[in-house]
Amino acid sequence: MAQIEIKDIRKVYRVDTEKIVALNRINLSIEQGEICCIFGTSGSGKSTLLNILAGLEKPSHGSVLIDGHDICKMSEKKLALFRQKNVGFVFQSYNLMSTLTALENVALPLQFRGMDKKKRNKYAMEMLKSVGLKERMKHTPNQMSGGQQQRVGIARAFVARPKIVFADEPTGNLDSKTTKEVMEIMIHLARKHHETLIIVSHDRDIAKYADRIIYIIDGNIKSDEPNESVLKN
Amino acid sequence: MKFRDKLSMCLGNLYKRKVRTLLTTIGVVVGTCAIVITVSLGIGMQMATDQALASMGDLTLITVYGYGISSDQTQLDENFFQTVKENEHVVAAMPSISPEWGSMKITGGNNGRYVYESTINGVFMEDLEAMGYTLREGEWPETFTDDMILMGTNSLYDFYDSKKTTNNYISSWSGKDPFVNLDDRFELMITVPEDSTKKAPTYRVQPIGIMEENYNLQPSSSYSIFISYNAMKEWITEYKRLNGIKVDRNETLKFNSLVVKCDDMNNVAEVEEWIQSFGFDTYSMETIRKPLQDQARQEQLTLGALGAISLLVAAIGITNTMIMSIYERTREIGVMKVLGCKINDIRQVFLMEAAAIGFMGGLFGVLISEGVSFAINHFGSGVTGESWEIVSGMATGSTSVIPWWLVVAALIFATLVGLVSGIGPANRAVKISALTAIKQDS
Repeated sequence: MAQIEIKDIRKVYRVDTEKIVALNRINLSIEQGEICCIFGTSGSGKSTLLNILAGLEKPSHGSVLIDGHDICKMSEKKLALFRQKNVGFVFQSYNLMSTLTALENVALPLQFRGMDKKKRNKYAMEMLKSVGLKERMKHTPNQMSGGQQQRVGIARAFVARPKIVFADEPTGNLDSKTTKEVMEIMIHLARKHHETLIIVSHDRDIAKYADRIIYIIDGNIKSDEPNESVLKN
Repeated sequence: MKFRDKLSMCLGNLYKRKVRTLLTTIGVVVGTCAIVITVSLGIGMQMATDQALASMGDLTLITVYGYGISSDQTQLDENFFQTVKENEHVVAAMPSISPEWGSMKITGGNNGRYVYESTINGVFMEDLEAMGYTLREGEWPETFTDDMILMGTNSLYDFYDSKKTTNNYISSWSGKDPFVNLDDRFELMITVPEDSTKKAPTYRVQPIGIMEENYNLQPSSSYSIFISYNAMKEWITEYKRLNGIKVDRNETLKFNSLVVKCDDMNNVAEVEEWIQSFGFDTYSMETIRKPLQDQARQEQLTLGALGAISLLVAAIGITNTMIMSIYERTREIGVMKVLGCKINDIRQVFLMEAAAIGFMGGLFGVLISEGVSFAINHFGSGVTGESWEIVSGMATGSTSVIPWWLVVAALIFATLVGLVSGIGPANRAVKISALTAIKQDS
């Protein structure tokens, strides 16, 4: 069985009396260590799919099995614990805690797990080193550039060695040069620890970093195929 | 999350919004001050009342009178004395028996020239000291014997010159010495019928001292001579025998009065009511103490209510601050949730923040109250008015009293107020959907 099994997912929003189908019977399976890009235009339903996969939203129908556990049936409390143990998250707008330093931000998921300060700072330090921000560890987010902030965000997503990392338009706020840096770091980290990385993007340049591109239009999977440019390499 | 991490997160959040934290805290400070100071004034008042009462006499004493009891009722006698002594709130009880008027007299001076025919009370001589009697002259003996007598403050003046028919008294306020003094020879004489052939028996008695006058004590310390209860009991029997008074074998010797000492003034009402239920008349300071204390309590309640209102306002302030803080932090809370922070941890951080505001407010409130209390007590006469100063000055010399328990209670209370004010906002925080929170624009 694959690490992630998406079965017959349907998501319908109700706006007044009108029904809007965001996702229409999606079936997918993603293996451990795969780097996928969920690709589509805005309003295609790709973000909704990511939210459902990460347990942030419940589907109207269907199930999401992660390592055999149906996350759609979990309570809020269980989901929090599940995310704590299995999931990392990279946001488009970084979402760093403005009062915390880079090091503290990276250590946050470990702090939520109840790890003591010395230990978690050690791990966070290593993570910051691997995203190239060792010198910035004492800085707060507003003392850093967008690219640096996103690198901190990436370090935070990977620090707890999650099984799956979700990235929602991770480079949406970055210029092309920084985008390249950030993407490379993210791919490198995922490959290094054989972690599943699921990127949501509307950008073809981003999609080409993935092993597999899942193209979504109007809530349906239009195509789901290996990335040829990656295969060529 | 570890407690330390939660605490540092909580303090960090408070520090981040220092101005608002400070202003909210000031609200609590004012509320705490209002309560602590008003309560401390109330306590000062209470202490003044208590001391004023204490100066009136022993508040734990109940006098039970033996008058006006019909024969089918419980009698004020040794049986009832035993019943009373078994009550858990009674620490001591002292009966007093008196001979029939005219049945006994005490003579003193040259050949019994000076005669005392006033009140003689048979009491537990060894218990007098514990009941609050003090001596103006003489000392309490180590062991008591049946021939000892104790003079009332003015009893020596009650000895009259039996050799004269006029001008045979010396008044106690005349400034002159009485006919007799403690070194004289005193004898107790039991009277016999005038036609009797029997000689009136006399018993040598020895005065041990003179009592200090104390109007609060029963039997009277002023106009009475005390003698051993057992001796008096025998002499009464002797008198009855000599005078041919028949005694029913089942009839017990009835007390004049019975003085009961309770363990605490707060139990006086209960014991007094219990004794009254047997049909006896009683007297205690309770009738004076209760209205005074009720009044003091009333004033304390009024003052406390004013304080409570200001703390309520402070509580609303805390709730408001926390709600504002949640609106500002919606995104932050959402991110924490997405990163796997447990819901209870989020709730606890919020509750701790609210409680911390309450605690800090309480702490500074108590400190400031101590200062204000000091100021009231040292420069307060102008503020509180002279009439108040007379009452309080007489009693304690201070008008505001902050005991340690008030400090502790204020701290706990202020913290609780914070905590309770934080419950609503904290629940609101945990209900924030992670998704909507992170979607919100920064």
